[in-house]
Parts: sequence; C-alpha cells; structure tokens
Amino acid sequence: MKRRRFVQSLLAAPAAPAVLAPVVLAQQSPATRPPAEEPKIEATAADQVADAVPRFFNAQQFAALRKVSEILMPPINGAPGALEAGAPEFLDFLIGESPADRQLVYRTGLDALNSQARKQFGKPFAEVDAAQAEALLAPLKQPWTYDPPAEPLARFLAAAKQDVRTATMNSREWNAAAPSGGGRRGGGTGLYWNPI
Amino acid sequence: MAVKDYDVLIIGSGASGGMAAHTLTQKGIKCLMLDAGPLVDFNRDRVLKPVYELPYHGFGKPGRLPHVLQANEFNANQWVDETQVPYTHDPKEPYNWVRVRMIGGKSLFWARMSFRLSDYEFKAKDHDGFGDNWPIGHDDLAPFYSRVEPIFRVSGRKEGLRQLPDGNFVEDNSPDGEAVKRFSAAAKERGIVVTKMRRSLGRGQFASSFNLLLPDALATGNLTIVPDAVVRDITVDKNTGLVNGANFVDRHSRREMHAKARVVVVGASCLESTRILLNSGIANSSGALGHYLHDQFYISQSVQAVMPEARGASGGRGFGGGYIPRFRNLETKAKNFIRGYALDFSMGGTPDAKYYPLYGEALQKAMDADRGTGFSCTTMGEVLPRYENKVSIDKNVSDAFGIPALHFQCRYSDNEFNMAKDAIATMEELCHACKWEVLARHDKMFPPGYSIHELGTCRMGDNPKTSVLNKWNQSHDVKNLFVVDGSSFVTGGSQNPTMTILSLSMRASEYLAGQMRAGNV
Repeated sequence: MKRRRFVQSLLAAPAAPAVLAPVVLAQQSPATRPPAEEPKIEATAADQVADAVPRFFNAQQFAALRKVSEILMPPINGAPGALEAGAPEFLDFLIGESPADRQLVYRTGLDALNSQARKQFGKPFAEVDAAQAEALLAPLKQPWTYDPPAEPLARFLAAAKQDVRTATMNSREWNAAAPSGGGRRGGGTGLYWNPI
Repeated sequence: MAVKDYDVLIIGSGASGGMAAHTLTQKGIKCLMLDAGPLVDFNRDRVLKPVYELPYHGFGKPGRLPHVLQANEFNANQWVDETQVPYTHDPKEPYNWVRVRMIGGKSLFWARMSFRLSDYEFKAKDHDGFGDNWPIGHDDLAPFYSRVEPIFRVSGRKEGLRQLPDGNFVEDNSPDGEAVKRFSAAAKERGIVVTKMRRSLGRGQFASSFNLLLPDALATGNLTIVPDAVVRDITVDKNTGLVNGANFVDRHSRREMHAKARVVVVGASCLESTRILLNSGIANSSGALGHYLHDQFYISQSVQAVMPEARGASGGRGFGGGYIPRFRNLETKAKNFIRGYALDFSMGGTPDAKYYPLYGEALQKAMDADRGTGFSCTTMGEVLPRYENKVSIDKNVSDAFGIPALHFQCRYSDNEFNMAKDAIATMEELCHACKWEVLARHDKMFPPGYSIHELGTCRMGDNPKTSVLNKWNQSHDVKNLFVVDGSSFVTGGSQNPTMTILSLSMRASEYLAGQMRAGNV
C-alpha cells in the first residue's frame, strides 16, 4: 500500500484506536511527515513592492495613454481611477504581450490622438485642457456598433474605453477600495483552474 | 499482465459515453472506458483567487485559445490547448472548435438547457422538403427522454407545444414576474410563445456524467475507467472485419497501448468521434463520414435594452428570464428562410459599458441609473445540415500525440443569415412593444462551432449508402461498432442537444445489450 493511501486510510477510520496515530507518525521521517507539519512561508506579490516599468509605448504614446485613461476612468465615489489603479502601466504590459493587430490599434490610435491634438490645438494630447480633450474624444459619443470603427482613432478609443475600465476594476487598488467587489469583472474573486 | 478482454470498450466519458456506461454496466456488461483527459480533483485543481492576482488581471494571456471565446483567465486551463491538439481551416472560414478533455467531458460545464427535439426536427424533410428525415421519431425516443430527465432533474413548465415536447419535469410553476408577463403578452399578440427555461438542476454543483452517471456505473463493479488515454484509432480483426479494441497513447508518458473488447462504443464528442473513425479507416462505405456538419448559430446579446420602469427600484433586482421556442415555419412560412430559431432572455442585469455613448463620470452615472434594469437575449438558430460542410483528416498536421488533425470546411449560408435578421427584428419589435429602450442590436453571429453544439458528420439513417449509422447508432458497416454522441444527428433544430444525446445513448446501449444477450453482437 502506498504511503499516501495508507495515511488516508488511517484518517478515514474513525474506529481505529486513538493511540495508533502518534505511534505511526513517530515512525515517519521528517521528509515524509504530513503536509500540515510543513512550515507556511508567506510571500508577497511583486506589484505590492515595486512599480511596473513601461516598455512598449514610446514616451509620447504613453503620456497620451495616461491622459486618456484618466479621462475615461476618473476616481468616482471613492473608487480609485485609472491612474491610481495603475491601469496605463498595466496596459503597456498587456498590449506589449498582445498579437500585432491589437498592438497596431493602440499605437496608431495613440499616434492619431497626438497628431489630432497638435493639428487642432498645437500641443500633444497630454497637454490639452478638458474642453479640448472632449472634442478629441468625440468618437466615443457615437452609438455602439458590433464591428469596431474603421477609423484608427475611433477604433482605439472604443478599445481603450473597455480595456481601461477592466484594468482599473480588476486592480488590487480597486479591490481594496471596494472589498465587496462586483464579481469577477469588478475586482472580485473567481475559481481559478490550475494546469491539469 | 493486467490485460483483459472487456465486453465493451467505451471511448469518452462525457454525456454520451457516461450514459453508455450507466446503461451497459447495470445490465452486467463489463466495460472499459478510455478518456483523453485527466480525472480532475475539483478541490485540488481549482482554487479561489482574486482577479488582480492573475498574471493578466483577468484579460487572459493574449493570443491563447484564439478559438475559445468562452475562455477567460480563470478557466483557461479547463479547455483543450489548441497548440497541443491543433486543427486547421481556411483563415477566411474559421471554425471555433471548443473542447474539454477530462473525465465527465463537456457535461461538467454545459449551460444545462434541457430540451427535447420534436418531429419538426425528426421529420424535417416531410415538413419542408430539405435534407433527410431521421430514421426515428419523437415517439421512438420519448420513453428514453422520460428516463433521462429525472436523472438530470430537468425543471420546466408543461406547455403542450408540438415544437417543444414536454418532458418528465421537476415542475416549475413559479409565477412569472411582471416584466416577463408584459413581454409574454406582447409576444402572444404576435403568435410567439414564452415559456420557462428548461434546465437540468443536477445534484450539488454539477449536472454531469461525472456525478450523475459514472458513480452508479462504477458501483456495479462493471466499469473500469482509464483517464489520460488518448485514442489513436480503433483496431479491426482482419479475419472478421469486426472491431476488436483501440490503440491509445498515455497523455503523460506518450506510451503506446492497446485495449481489447468485443464491442466498441464511441462517445468521444461529435468531432473527436468522427476523427477517430476517419483515422481508423472504418465505417465509411457510404462516404458520408465527416459530412453534414452542423450546429446552432448563436448571437449573444443580440438585443440589449433597458426597462425604464425598473429604474430607481430598490432591492428585488433580477426579473428572471425565459425561453422562446421556435415559432417560425410551423403553421406558416417565412419569406426567406426555412426552419427556425429559439431565444433565451434574461432581465435584471446591467448593460455593459460599451453600449453607452459616454465615458468617465457621465458613463458611470448612466450605468448606476440603469443598474438592474437590463434586458438581454441570445438567439440560437438552426443550421441546415449540408453535405459540403465537413471535416476531413489534414495529412500535414498532427497533434502532440502524433494523431492526424481535423481540417474544417464549414460556413453558414443565407438561410442562417436571413433567420438571424428576422430574429433580431422580432426581438426589437417586442422590446418596443413593451416600451423598453433598445440600447443596441446586432445580427452578427459567431463563427460556426461557437455554440459548442457541433452535430452530424456520422449521421444515422436507413440507407447505408447515405448514412454511417443505422437507427440504433450502430455502424452499417461494422456491426459491433456504435457511435452514440451528437455526430449521429441528422438535423439539430434550435434546441440544446444534450438531452437528445443522452437519450440516444441510452436507447442504443439498451439495444446493444439485447443484441449481446442474443449473441448477435
């Protein structure tokens, strides 16, 4: 009988004499003691002790991404906004890991946002004021369509609206501010499948 | 040597394989079951995690499982890895083959919608002239539906509908909410029936072969289950032409093995079963094997609306939902499509942010105002079984076990596209009749396969020249070979097929037991 099954059989036998268990356990070497006797080492997630380093977008693109993130998802009702939640930094990582078509949507969209801002207001998107930003984000006032917009800026904004929201609501910061959460899509908890 | 000759080798442990084991073992027949996936320990293999602890914060690893739109970062490991078990298709004609390999199969994760097919499906050709009839009718399968439904504890409300026969229900006579009543009244004026969802309650957290079929089969002492056994092909006795077992590969070690049996029952899921038969080079004198692939097209959130009267309501969120069975082409004819579609709807959710032409604080205010007031529906349409929609073996691509992969050639046609347009227009009309605000509508269906209701490719029929199986799910060519899953379907209707698969498997297995007892197999 294999040891694991043997130990299980002991645990499953309520009528076994109580004195048996300590005798059996005393015969085991430290390496084979039940898991309950092994020490529990506490660990900390990396993003609790360190900041993410943006690597994918260039400086102009990332500045525009931070600005648009702040506008799309500001702090509301005590919940952290996109900047407090580190959403732009996370999206830099996520988009950098994504297939080329998704990367293209972001890069061309952010470039378009900056070029439109320079064309209309003479400065990059990161430096426009609220009214100017609203004018540049006008495509988001269009009704939803199943197929994403063809125009690069509108296509990027539609994607960013969803992604910034999700990155914010799925952040540790959002969860800490609203521990009751809103389910899996709102900084909540889910059943994760380990590799099988 | 532990090698034994079993009475029956069952390939697959999901709904169809599980029901075969459940039926055969209780008749004293010794069964060996092989499944390509592991025996999951749900306490060990799943763990509660906050989304922010996942590496991609719930977005999922980019590019992983590109065909499995149902996958998310929590459940990504439950699906078959497409890089390990690939399949091919023309990039312009995608097919979303969504697979699960573990003991219990997809029955661990299905949506539990539990319907019978009617003679509008079994005798579809008689009704509209397209395709072929099944070799059986509802009367043939009804006694088996009636025994399957209590095992899965199907809840429902009896309606007396010809297009959706009543079942042996755990009766659901709970009153409809006011929103459902209003919706039902608007539907009734247009000749559309709204009924309660019919759903398998199961037991505990599952309504699966895993907990409802396999334990009883094991308790007989007549079932041996071998997980992680990836079947390569079915073997044939050259002297008799009968099948005599299967070659399989151990998933972990890649060790090649062979299991023997007097009879082989294949229930590996629709397209894996057909793949095994094609790779075995058997049961295809008709040339129909692999053809007539069909499913149901799905359009999720086809109409998204808000019920304004629910705004500001405190508590009592959740207005329920229901099911609209097929109503087109029953007594009258639609102008540009045959067959029909069903819809399921839910009320009480909150529409997704993407539907609002807003952002920032204004978006949040609008969503807060609409919280719990949403109406959403999913369209599920019948896909015509066509010879040209098919799977075949791709001789240039093999999986990680060296087993040749499937190649898909499948696309929807104008019949499905016209049906989808009609469905969305009808639902929008109903919402307007209820004075609900339609936020969004669309008739864009997912690629074929998305519904995870793949059917056909090993269809049954009376004519051995045009079908693979007879009316007992028995190969026309090889009498000790049975295929008991959705591949045997002739047409699929718009109903979830699981109850029909279970009932067909029970019926075929009882027939097989009788034939074995009589010495015919």
